[in-house]
Amino acid sequence: MSTPTTSNAAAGNGAAPLRGKRILVAKPGLDGHDIGAKVVALALRDAGAEVIYTGLRKSPQQIARVAIDEGVDAVGLSILSGSHRELVAQVVECLRAENADDIALFVGGTVPAEDHAALSALGVRGIYTSDQPLADVVAALGAALA
Amino acid sequence: MSSTRPRPTLGTRTMAGLEIPVTAGPELLDPDRIGTPGAPPFTRGIFADGYQGRLWTIRQYSGFGTAEDTNARYRFLLEQGQTGLSVALDLPTQCGYDPDDPMARPEVGKVGVSLSNLAEMEILFDGIDLGAISTSFTINGTAAIIYAMYLATADKLGVPREKLTGTIQNDILKEYVARGTWIFPVRPSMRLIADTILYANEVTPRFNPISIAGAHVRDAGATAVEEMAYTLANGLAYVDELRRRGGDVARFARRLSFFFYVHQDFFEEIAKFRAGRRLWAKLLQDRYGVTDEKALMFRFGVVCGGSSLVAPQPMNNVVRVTVETMAAVFGGAQSIFTCAYDEAFQIPTESSAELALRTQQILAYESGIARSVDALGGSYLVEHLTNQTEDAIGAVMREIDDYGGVEKAIEDGWLQMRIAERALERKQKVDRGESVIVGQNFFARDDATRGIGETFQVDPNAAARVIEKYERIRDTRDAAAVERSLAALGRAAARDDENLMPYLVDCCHAYVTVGEMVTQLKAEWGEFQEPVRL
Amino acid sequence: MAGDATLDRRALARRLGQLADASVADVLALAPATPATVPRIGLTGAPGVGKSSLAGRLALLRAAHHRIGMLAVDPSSPLTGGAILGDRIRLDELAGAENLYLRSIASRAHSDGLADNLPELLEALAAAGFEELLLETVGVGQAEHAVRSQVDTLALVLMPGAGDTVQAMKAGTMELADIYVVNKSELAGAAQLAAEIRRVQALRAAHDGWQAPVVLTSIHDGDSISALSAAIDAHQAWLDEHADRAGRLAARARYRLQLLLERRLGEVLDALSADTLEQPLDMQFAAALAALPLDRTSS
Repeated sequence: MSTPTTSNAAAGNGAAPLRGKRILVAKPGLDGHDIGAKVVALALRDAGAEVIYTGLRKSPQQIARVAIDEGVDAVGLSILSGSHRELVAQVVECLRAENADDIALFVGGTVPAEDHAALSALGVRGIYTSDQPLADVVAALGAALA
Repeated sequence: MSSTRPRPTLGTRTMAGLEIPVTAGPELLDPDRIGTPGAPPFTRGIFADGYQGRLWTIRQYSGFGTAEDTNARYRFLLEQGQTGLSVALDLPTQCGYDPDDPMARPEVGKVGVSLSNLAEMEILFDGIDLGAISTSFTINGTAAIIYAMYLATADKLGVPREKLTGTIQNDILKEYVARGTWIFPVRPSMRLIADTILYANEVTPRFNPISIAGAHVRDAGATAVEEMAYTLANGLAYVDELRRRGGDVARFARRLSFFFYVHQDFFEEIAKFRAGRRLWAKLLQDRYGVTDEKALMFRFGVVCGGSSLVAPQPMNNVVRVTVETMAAVFGGAQSIFTCAYDEAFQIPTESSAELALRTQQILAYESGIARSVDALGGSYLVEHLTNQTEDAIGAVMREIDDYGGVEKAIEDGWLQMRIAERALERKQKVDRGESVIVGQNFFARDDATRGIGETFQVDPNAAARVIEKYERIRDTRDAAAVERSLAALGRAAARDDENLMPYLVDCCHAYVTVGEMVTQLKAEWGEFQEPVRL
Repeated sequence: MAGDATLDRRALARRLGQLADASVADVLALAPATPATVPRIGLTGAPGVGKSSLAGRLALLRAAHHRIGMLAVDPSSPLTGGAILGDRIRLDELAGAENLYLRSIASRAHSDGLADNLPELLEALAAAGFEELLLETVGVGQAEHAVRSQVDTLALVLMPGAGDTVQAMKAGTMELADIYVVNKSELAGAAQLAAEIRRVQALRAAHDGWQAPVVLTSIHDGDSISALSAAIDAHQAWLDEHADRAGRLAARARYRLQLLLERRLGEVLDALSADTLEQPLDMQFAAALAALPLDRTSS
């Protein structure tokens, strides 16, 4: 069976750099601040992505399950409660258990600089904070998922 | 920085979009609307003598790790001159999970102190006189439980309940929309809030059993006008619920308080508070016929900072917080919490928390701005902006009414969607350079520090110690008493004519845990189903 | 994949992703020789009628008895192609439902409420061993026609205040449903709407003898969801007894072929040079026809 080489999902262009990408925006744990996640989800949609937003209070198992079934290219975890190291580790573990660790992982929220290395070691490809322009976040994601 | 960026300009509109006249003169004054401090509708302040009669409460939000850790920080802050306590609770406690629940485990002790049962609260207040110090709890989904725990603690310390002062936030409507620590669906949550308020009015008459908060919708992206409008609309929803339960508006309204953010737009904030005072008094008079002046008073606390503070060039935040605190003082706030400059990216260190405290003390005792009540009253600009803001708030409140009221707007996800859209707009304005954030989108430096050298470290062993204590309590408490009090709670929750507070207090005395009480209530009421609409 | 084998969700997800993005040439290459056929249920209706929540509840209910593969289509932005794929089933419930697989897809360029390669996606789900497929799409006007051929049982979801829809029914543009659902039945006007639909239905001869029932539903009322599910069961039983299965599948195959041919034609037309388009019409036509065959060696 041949692998499709001509995709009819148009490759990302300037106007829609994430066209054809499927991205899950998730809120793991108990953190109730969802506005950043929602703003990013909307920005990703405006950049052409197909976005699924999970809503609040999802377990790592639930997040991994929907990431796999929906065949997403990337999962963005929004965490502002300080529990990023534990929650990211749990999500990574759940994805690994289903052989899905090729799904790219990103984190947004309040992550102090000294935790960046630990998250990268877990496999996180990018960490975003609210002071970054949305266009930069979109561009970084586009580059990472190219 | 791109050369196509606009230069920063002063602009002629507040962040909420209200026009600021470049030259304000006496033609803008409407003397009949200004009023007198201490007289309804209280535009100029609820007390004729303002802060001379009573300075605002300096109440710094604090809490982390174990009850012992937080107790130590509270003793430090009280020694440094803080006059009231403001308790930050961790997410498991706020959301009703015990520390050993898998959803709770990564979050124990992180954003606040873990209080899973009465024993922890006894530790929290060790060496602190509950009869003398006012304590405010930022707690919502589990507010009734924490309040019950507070009563039980006072009981055990021999402090008469009538002496207790303080607040529980207890405002579930904004949780659904902007803060996310909801537990039960809307109706049973409103029931529980009414139970708490009616009980508190009898048992702890000096305690504020609700702090209706616009703060969080503001922080989430709503404008100052929307913040006040949503808050007042929520306030009316609570008033209506209490009246349905047979409460006397003139009585319970005396103990309704409010809570807001203060962001950087100085005059916008002052006008917002003045308009809020005026509107609330008028609403109670017009809609419910309240004449008791004390019941018409719009009392509120504020937090200065929040999402107006940013990580790049964090010392800039000291300046922001100072300006915001001044606005709070000119706006007549009853209690002020000033954020620390590192609040944008961590729990404050002891030194940044101290500086936040000093900010208030300097403004209070060195600057003189608090000496005269509503010192900016009569200013052409301030009075004009107050009137404009009042009108704008009214317009938003009418939109909510037209939709069908706050409860429907929340259950449908309509309010949530509005806030998300507003947040996106706000972010896009900043990204386009139409809104200035010094150090972030203008006057930024590539090599700018994003943090300060000293960082706050949550003790990595705190969670383990919390769980250890929790397990010990569960092993040593009277299991029969636990079962009895939980069963009684369940039976009472199934009826809608029982006030649950006494049952919750009994549970606390039996060392029933927060998670156990919540599980019992969930069995009766179910869980809130979040409408995810983007 | 046999019905009893454990579902490889990751592999299925990959397959669906491949198919969603596949060009016409790739679709042909990937098409199975002997496609499986399982009962297909379709839920369609205008935006805002509460279809998503209803579909979610229905899926969870039926997943207790069948292995369900569900496809839900959400509209893409015509400008950027992006989409927010909707909230249907609370993840807490979904994660616990081993018998349910949900895939959300964006309509992309489609104006008919469907999505690229939808027939292929449904086929892939059938091949993965599900006992029943559930398809939820946005239906406005002719979308119902598109969905009609792809499913066996089609339920049209309406809500009180849907005056326009009833007018359309009277005009004959919306008569293709097997079941009519009046959702948000807790709202005023629900009973009246149901009655009106029944009246319109009675006026026209029941097509092929199936009398489309009107079911009142509310997501707050579990019994109403059961009633909808029972109506679906009844229709499925009726189909087994009475319907022209071969005819139905032929219509489905025709429409599927039409979609592919239209896409192929679109590819060809996009590639026609400006020069060709300045030629006389019959030469343009011939050029287009000549370009139609797929050059397999270049894919």
